[in-house]
Amino acid sequence: MNTPLRTRLAISAGKLAAATSRLAGRGEGMIIGGKVALAVSPHALRDLAQGRVAALVSATNGKTSTTRLLATALSQSGPVASPTTGANMTEGAVWALATGEPGAQAVLEVDEAYLPRIVRETQPKVVLLANLSRDQLDRMSEVAMLARKWRAMIAENPDVLIIANADDPIVAYAAEKATKIVWVAAGQAWTADSSVCPDCGTLLSRDEKTWSCSGCGRSRPEPSWTFEWSAQQGNTYARAVAPDGQSFDLSHLGLPGRFNASNATMALAACSELGQDLPTALELMNTVSAVSGRFATVQAGALTVRLLLAKNPAGWSELLDIMPPAPTPVIVMINANHADGRDPSWLWDVPFERLAGRTVIASGNRRRDLAVRLLHAGVDAHVIEDPFAPNADLPDSVRALEVIDCAATYTAFQKIRVAALDGEVDA
Amino acid sequence: MSVKIASIYPTLLGTYGDGGNVAALTHLATLHGIAVEVTEVSPGHTVPHDADIYVLGGGEDTAQSAAAAALHASGALAEGVKNGASVLAICAGYQILGHTFLDAEGKPSAGLALLDVTTDRLDTRAVGELLAQPSEFAPAGLTEVFTGYENHGGHTHLGPDAKPLATVTHGVGNGDGTEGAISGRVIGTYLHGPCLVRNPRIAERLLGWAVGRDLDHIVEAEVEALRQERLDFVTKK
Ligand SMILES: [Zn+2]
Repeated sequence: MNTPLRTRLAISAGKLAAATSRLAGRGEGMIIGGKVALAVSPHALRDLAQGRVAALVSATNGKTSTTRLLATALSQSGPVASPTTGANMTEGAVWALATGEPGAQAVLEVDEAYLPRIVRETQPKVVLLANLSRDQLDRMSEVAMLARKWRAMIAENPDVLIIANADDPIVAYAAEKATKIVWVAAGQAWTADSSVCPDCGTLLSRDEKTWSCSGCGRSRPEPSWTFEWSAQQGNTYARAVAPDGQSFDLSHLGLPGRFNASNATMALAACSELGQDLPTALELMNTVSAVSGRFATVQAGALTVRLLLAKNPAGWSELLDIMPPAPTPVIVMINANHADGRDPSWLWDVPFERLAGRTVIASGNRRRDLAVRLLHAGVDAHVIEDPFAPNADLPDSVRALEVIDCAATYTAFQKIRVAALDGEVDA
Repeated sequence: MSVKIASIYPTLLGTYGDGGNVAALTHLATLHGIAVEVTEVSPGHTVPHDADIYVLGGGEDTAQSAAAAALHASGALAEGVKNGASVLAICAGYQILGHTFLDAEGKPSAGLALLDVTTDRLDTRAVGELLAQPSEFAPAGLTEVFTGYENHGGHTHLGPDAKPLATVTHGVGNGDGTEGAISGRVIGTYLHGPCLVRNPRIAERLLGWAVGRDLDHIVEAEVEALRQERLDFVTKK
């Protein structure tokens, strides 16, 4: 690869800035490194990409996990450059390409709003579009507006192969004009943000498998790949069925839950298009057990916790399903700092009723909002500012657990994760 | 006989946790021993003419216009109000109740004219905590400060037949120092949060109107703690 001089200088400047930032204790320096590189060479991303980018992954939820699954699967054919944290804007993409193995193929997660720019500059082989739902109420990120941006992006980049979730009507609307497309019926557990047609506003009809609009006649595109899932009495059945009918057992994934099995289906479809051996891809994906702290077991003060991250109602709804059944207590931490979104009124859209029958330790700087939500949900709540303090006033049932689930919004999650990095059992 | 609550187009007007308002009404009704019957009205379905309480929430611009058009076509909300029902409308729902509001393209769009208000644009979008002291026109029993979260670009102007619900002490509200509007039993406000969760006395007023008697306020420690924490957050900044 022949990287222009200006971009090589830009990367040196970025690396210096990143190292300085690390020395100053300001984190891993990826964002600052990428920012400095882009300031020196505005075309750094284009220069670094040059045909190396195998896939971009975008979605409201699950993009970090899907990226990790896909990058791990692609490692069967050589080194893969893929960022290790959720740095998913332009700077993060620059940094992943600048610091990964030179020339290695890359898999990048991309913020929904930044996707058009990063597709244009990196010209990836495939783009995975998994889901779109409400996120961060205090910022103006209308779901319908993102879908329109994606449509324009697809029209402007007709050679890029799109792998899209046919079960999400907003994603289907965004991707329907793609000339090169693989539809995956990857499931959609959260339908509340796509109850009406994104094009004509008519209430969508849904049955177990499909959706349709009586207003404009749209319906779920015919899928090539299908994700199948059922969970009954602790037994889960999860598989991905390929276009040729071959089926892949997803019940041995190291990552928990329906949503990760769905992510793995999207990743398998991508592997197929990228010419990978699929049984090997699945074996490799089975080895992923935690992603940038998500699902990792860590020491948090006096407690050992399994760390779960959710940022919005759709994500929370999925997490509630993977927690151990009642009466096992859980910790829920709700922050409303800038990165979480300042308005936590989405708490009222999360089906916390599913936690009935157990004690919930309500924490985070919006624990009072959570406590009222749990009161209405009929869930027993203990409001505790710092449940990890040695002298925290925790019920015995919490202390008795070897590992307790701790589900948190972004900044609460990061605080625990960073504090525990040394002691992380499996990151 | 149960109190009939109609949740109007929650799929269009429910973006900001507005489902919490109906949840709060149901929760408080249960505490007061009042039976309720909730109807969630989806677009395309019939809006009931005979509800006791109509609840409308906030939504994105295109959803707001769709909801306004459907409510115009229905006419049921106006009929319900004529029959003595109350209406609680938040944000986009509040704007719909006025004479005009601005659509996604910024063009004035006809509202339902159940409140003598018109809405145009604020210079900058109002996003953040909102505190407001109930005005002399607020329903009897509402004297405690209102707390909520606002997120809107609307500047709402009150005509002579609408009275301000409250006076802003922190935040933007209508845009002229007043917050919300009331006319008879029709209430519009910019208080999200959700409104009735953070201000249960408003919920008790709506329920009281529906059953024809004043309800004694029920204090819940969790709610008081949330209110206090939000007041402290704003005043200590
Ligand atoms: Zn349609």
